[in-house]
Amino acid sequence: MEKEIFISNVKQQFMDPEEIVLEMSTEFRQLDSYDSLTGMTIMVMIKDEYGIDIPESDYRASKTIQELYDYVLEKKGK
Amino acid sequence: MEAFINGISYYLPEKVLDNSTLSSMFPEWSVEKIAQKTGILSRHIADDNESSSDMALKALEKLIKECGIDKQSIDYLILCTQTPDYMLPTTACIIQNKASISKNCGAIDINLGCSGYVYGLGLAKGLVSTGQAKNVVLITSEMYSKIIHPKDKSNRTIFGDGASATLITSQPNTEFFTAKIKNFKYGTDGSGYEHLIVKNSGVNTNRENQKDLYDEEDNFISNDDYLFMNGKEIFNFTAFEIPKLVLSTLEVNSTNLSEIAMVIFHQANAFMLDFIRKRCGIDADKFFVSMSDIGNTVSSTIPIALSRAIKEKNLQRNQQLMLCGFGVGLSMGGVVIEIC
Repeated sequence: MEKEIFISNVKQQFMDPEEIVLEMSTEFRQLDSYDSLTGMTIMVMIKDEYGIDIPESDYRASKTIQELYDYVLEKKGK
Repeated sequence: MEAFINGISYYLPEKVLDNSTLSSMFPEWSVEKIAQKTGILSRHIADDNESSSDMALKALEKLIKECGIDKQSIDYLILCTQTPDYMLPTTACIIQNKASISKNCGAIDINLGCSGYVYGLGLAKGLVSTGQAKNVVLITSEMYSKIIHPKDKSNRTIFGDGASATLITSQPNTEFFTAKIKNFKYGTDGSGYEHLIVKNSGVNTNRENQKDLYDEEDNFISNDDYLFMNGKEIFNFTAFEIPKLVLSTLEVNSTNLSEIAMVIFHQANAFMLDFIRKRCGIDADKFFVSMSDIGNTVSSTIPIALSRAIKEKNLQRNQQLMLCGFGVGLSMGGVVIEIC
C-alpha cells in the first residue's frame, strides 16, 4: 500500500485539495476545511479503494494520516 | 397503453429564510460556510397558518391555468406528502374539495419523501395505462419546516417548503411539454428506517421522550417530537446504493448514460449531489441542479427541478432524461422519461 497514494486519496476528499498540506504526521481534523462531510467521504473512499468498512468509532480514534494508514494496513492484512 | 407527463407547475411559499438570518441565529455558522457546504442560499418557509393542502392547491391551480386543463377532466389525485394536514383523513380528499374537482375523482395520499415523486409517477402510469383513469394529477406538498425543531440548525439549513403538480395522461399533448414515462426501478432498505424519522408522529408515539437532548457543548441533538436525521447513514446509503440504482434504471430502459441527455437527482444538498454524480460517472454538464434558492424540498425537488429544466434548458424531442429519488424509508426509485 503506497503511502503517497493514500495521502493523495485522503486529500481529494477535502474541498480544497490544492491548498492543503497533508503529511503522514498531519492531524487532518485540525485543518480548517475539515468537517463531518469530509469525514464521511474519507470513510467511503477507504471502503472503495481498500475494501475496508471502517466503523465510525475506529475512524474517530485515528488522529493522524499515519494512524489511519496503519489501521487500513492492519485490516487489509487480516 | 402508454403514459405521458403533460405539464408541471410548482408553488413556493412567500416567506424566505436566507443564510444571513440563519447565521445570526447560529453564529458558529457563517453565511459563506452554509452556502459552501450545502449550495443553498435561501429557502421558502410556509406561514404558520398555511397547510400542506393549501400549498398543494396553489400548485394545482397553477397547473390548471398554465396547461389549460379542464378541471372537471381530472379523475384521480395522488398526493405525495410526509406532512399531511391530519393523520386522517386523507389530505388528497381535502384538496379535491378545496379545488372543486369532480366528485367522480379518486384521491389518495402516499407517504414517501425524497423518492416519492418517482413512486408517484409509477402509480400514475399504472392508473393511466390500465385505463383506470385518464387524467391523473400527481401533487407533492412538503412542509418540513413544521416538523423541524427551531434549534436544529442542520435541518433548518437544508430543508425548505414547496409543492408541485404534474399532469399524467394516456395521450401526449404536444402543445405543452410532453414526455413519455418509460420504465422504473425501485429499491427499499427498511432496516434504515430510524435514520430519518419523526419518532413521535404515529401510534408509536412515546410521551416520555419529548424533551430536548443536548451534547456536552450544549448543541441541540434531538427531540423525538421533531425530525431526526442521521446524516452519515443517509450519506452512506446514497453513496453506495445510488450508483447501483442508476445502472439498473438504465438497464430496464435498455439504454446507457451516453444516451441520457439530462439527469435529475433528488436535490438533497449540493455537496452530496456532486459527490454522488462523480461516483455514478455522470458528466457535470448533463447533471441538472437547481436548489440554491429553495433548499431540499423533499418529494418536491425533482418536479421543481424538472419544471425549471424545461424552462431554462433547450430540451429537444426524443431526448431522454433520468430521474432518481432517494432518502427517507430508506427508499429509492429511478425512471427514464423521453421528450415527445
